[in-house]
Amino acid sequence: MTGPRLPISSVLMTPPLLAILAFGLAPLTIVVVWSFWSWDPLTYWIKPDLSLAGYAAILEAGRWTVIVSTLVKAFGTALLCLLIAYPTAYAVHFLAGRHLNIILLALITIPFFTSYLIRSFSWRLVLGRTGILNTWLRDLGIAQAPLDWLLFSNFAVVIGLVASYLPFATFPLLLSMRRVDPTFLAAAQDLGAGFWKSLTSILLPLTMSGIFAGFLFVFVMVVGSSTEVQMLGGAGASIVSVMINDVMRVANYPLAFAISTIVLVVIFGLVLIGNRIFGLASLFEDQSP
Amino acid sequence: MMIHEGLANRILLWAITIAGLIVIYAPPLYLLAVSFNPALQPGLPSLSDLSLIWYAALPKEHALVGALQQSLIIATITAVLATGMSLLAALAYFELRAQRTAWFLTVILPMFVPGVIQGLALSAVFTRNGIKASSLTVIAGHLLWAMPFAFIVILTSFAAVRRSYLVAAADLGATRWRQFVDITLPLIRPGLVSAFIFSFLLSLNEFTRAFYLAGRQNTLPVVLFGKMNSGASPVIYAMSGAIFLASVACVALIAIRSLWPGAGKRSTR
Amino acid sequence: MSKQNRPLLPRQHSNVQRRDFLKLMGAGGIALSAGGLSFASRLAAQDAASVAFWATATLDIGDKWQEFATQNGVTPEFTDNGNDLGPVIARLAAGNANDLFDIGGFQGGAEKELARQGVIIPWDVAKIPNYDSVWQWAKDIPYLKHDGKQYGIPAVVNADSIIYRPDKLGKIDSYGAIFDPKLKGRVAMEDAWINSAIFTAMYLKESENQPIADPGNLSESELGLVMEFLIKHKSDGQFRTFWNGWEQGVQLVADQEVDAMTGWEPIVYEGRKRGLQVEYAAPVEGYEGWGNNMVLLKGAGDRGVSDAAHTFVNGLLGGFYGCELGQARGYLVPTDNNVVYAKAHPEEYKPDDVEKLGEHVKAKFAGKVYWQNARPDNFQRYEEWWQKLRNA
Repeated sequence: MTGPRLPISSVLMTPPLLAILAFGLAPLTIVVVWSFWSWDPLTYWIKPDLSLAGYAAILEAGRWTVIVSTLVKAFGTALLCLLIAYPTAYAVHFLAGRHLNIILLALITIPFFTSYLIRSFSWRLVLGRTGILNTWLRDLGIAQAPLDWLLFSNFAVVIGLVASYLPFATFPLLLSMRRVDPTFLAAAQDLGAGFWKSLTSILLPLTMSGIFAGFLFVFVMVVGSSTEVQMLGGAGASIVSVMINDVMRVANYPLAFAISTIVLVVIFGLVLIGNRIFGLASLFEDQSP
Repeated sequence: MMIHEGLANRILLWAITIAGLIVIYAPPLYLLAVSFNPALQPGLPSLSDLSLIWYAALPKEHALVGALQQSLIIATITAVLATGMSLLAALAYFELRAQRTAWFLTVILPMFVPGVIQGLALSAVFTRNGIKASSLTVIAGHLLWAMPFAFIVILTSFAAVRRSYLVAAADLGATRWRQFVDITLPLIRPGLVSAFIFSFLLSLNEFTRAFYLAGRQNTLPVVLFGKMNSGASPVIYAMSGAIFLASVACVALIAIRSLWPGAGKRSTR
Repeated sequence: MSKQNRPLLPRQHSNVQRRDFLKLMGAGGIALSAGGLSFASRLAAQDAASVAFWATATLDIGDKWQEFATQNGVTPEFTDNGNDLGPVIARLAAGNANDLFDIGGFQGGAEKELARQGVIIPWDVAKIPNYDSVWQWAKDIPYLKHDGKQYGIPAVVNADSIIYRPDKLGKIDSYGAIFDPKLKGRVAMEDAWINSAIFTAMYLKESENQPIADPGNLSESELGLVMEFLIKHKSDGQFRTFWNGWEQGVQLVADQEVDAMTGWEPIVYEGRKRGLQVEYAAPVEGYEGWGNNMVLLKGAGDRGVSDAAHTFVNGLLGGFYGCELGQARGYLVPTDNNVVYAKAHPEEYKPDDVEKLGEHVKAKFAGKVYWQNARPDNFQRYEEWWQKLRNA
């Protein structure tokens, strides 16, 4: 494979690697370095006095609880999205005919051309006290008074997040289902396995890469989100991005960079652990017999 | 289909699919309805009130239209570059042996950096190197944002490329390049298209990085954000509705195009 | 190129070639021209004596800048800065804002900080003749000057209190309404410590006689007092939500999510435009005064547009801008030139309306007003407490 000439992998790697180093690693280095600098009360900027004050401040005022609750929201939303996206992907790939397949794909993509800012805002109009949902519930006689918890609650935030990021789970799942030959599933059924058994023992393992990708995408998007929480959460609801903005507003840049570094390290650590357990690298490899 | 899901299971699967679609479609459809409401307060119009006044007012909104143009240009270029680079990265991934995991982690690392920090830090890097802010700097930021997603999407689509195909092709005398062009590329085409669409949409809707990296001309999300904070007339709903309708038209066109000609063997299933 | 081992359509081949070509040529070409476009327009703008105005979106007058340009000989290019001081200051200190913009319009209080960082330079008041017409109390706003130099020119001032629905609550004249347990779940405050802490402090100082010296600049112990009070009410479910941005504010009132909330006066005007019955309270505890001030960015000096910038600011105080802003949003530029201009051009702006707005704001400021300051002495402690409030 690798003769006396340059290995082809190095040639292929170069453009993306350069982009990542220049636009990704360089800023990241700045962020990590600056997170160890101190805030300078004279200039309201930062000075190169090394200190862990930024990191220590994460333990104060309950900031770390925001990081934890963000990760929990991300995990929950990703799981919920997978639970909805998996059957959707199955339906689109296995159940729908050729034409319906394409129509459904189109349907899933289209809403993402509109701004998620306005989409999140419209959930306020739908879930509010005078919104459609409450109006229908009243008209149907199910509720006498408007339900307050529909909006400005965790319920609303989760709905907003799922509505914003569901296709991020659907697409990778669909792509990974493409490699599954339906004859495998049919064969399992011929051998006596029920539908669910053949699903879990054959389809699930084969689409693991799609499941991982879908989960990761939604997870990352939620951690980086802010509009859903700001528009739909209750009084002062917080999430990491909002906290970073809050902190930057008071010029506490070392703290802001420290928070980002910690979030980065935690998520990256989770991916590393996942790799150890699931062998992520092998997910994308050809597993045909 | 060969698989017998059973009627109950089939209904369950379709029910969940439809529930998912309802959840994603509720906001844009509601907004579409709102955009036809001539009243200043956003709400569903009664059937007698339908009006196009906000759509008529759109061309006069220079800030919005200019921002839309800028966003479309940036999104297109980002999508092209991200798809291209991610394809290279994916190919490199499969060429590597021992360093495969390290390369994978390197490429997806930028995904985990919060947008506001990436935007600020990258703009600091540019300023220190005397690079002026413009659409190029926004593209740089969006490229790093979209690449990990495109990379993973393309990787996932490589699942359709069986090693046996490549081996068979090699036996028949195909060079690496021919194998790539004739076998791999067509098989991963849905992945490439998905990666392109993903990157395009990620860039089109991205706000925080664009805020820090943009030049004088803001992108659409930044302008929309500003308008929502400073008194927007319902023109923003018309803008949103217009984009929605335009994207329905585009996607419908592509869908129709792929449904009708080439009704013979196209993609592998 | 034999075709027998090609299982797929020949179209694929040309697709690939086309795609690669596009990537190399087209993308690069578009990228260059896209980058070049903004560059070229910047150069062109320089020739026409234009200034880049980077301010809160509420200061924009849209198409009327053309008229402004004709009158003053300077063409402003307006860009929205998002109003959030955090990203704005970050972009000035570490980012590209100084390369792009000439004049900033920011919430008052950060002038000291920006001056110390050297990202803004002082105004030469001698080059702004209209400055004389600015009302004295606006000139006296404390944070405009630093080290004896004028860093901020007041452009918009107003005094904030409570937006409420008289049809539901009758007449409201105290911030106590916001903390009234009878209104649990039907009130809101802004998601910004800078305003909400001041309102609460004003209430505690005036109506509950707590030992608070200056609600705009709380000491550590005073801050603790105020925030504990807020935290208690939040845990009791007093607030429906904290709002963040104009459209959100109007929507809360219009859709009956809240009956009363602290906020900006234009929300009342907007609400009325939309057919709602809303009033702005005149609380006994007083108003929260704020100013949006013009600062001269260092980049403007470097690029030699400083004189154009002075002409621009002079124009802002000239009367036309004040009339337009007052009519569009109900915001006031603190100068008598507005009325003068309206009287000279009665077909454009009704002099009575302009005068009424002026008197209205002056009356507010004649009473009890506590100034908003983006940078109180303990500003970092404010953020810490606000974080505790979020977690409560």
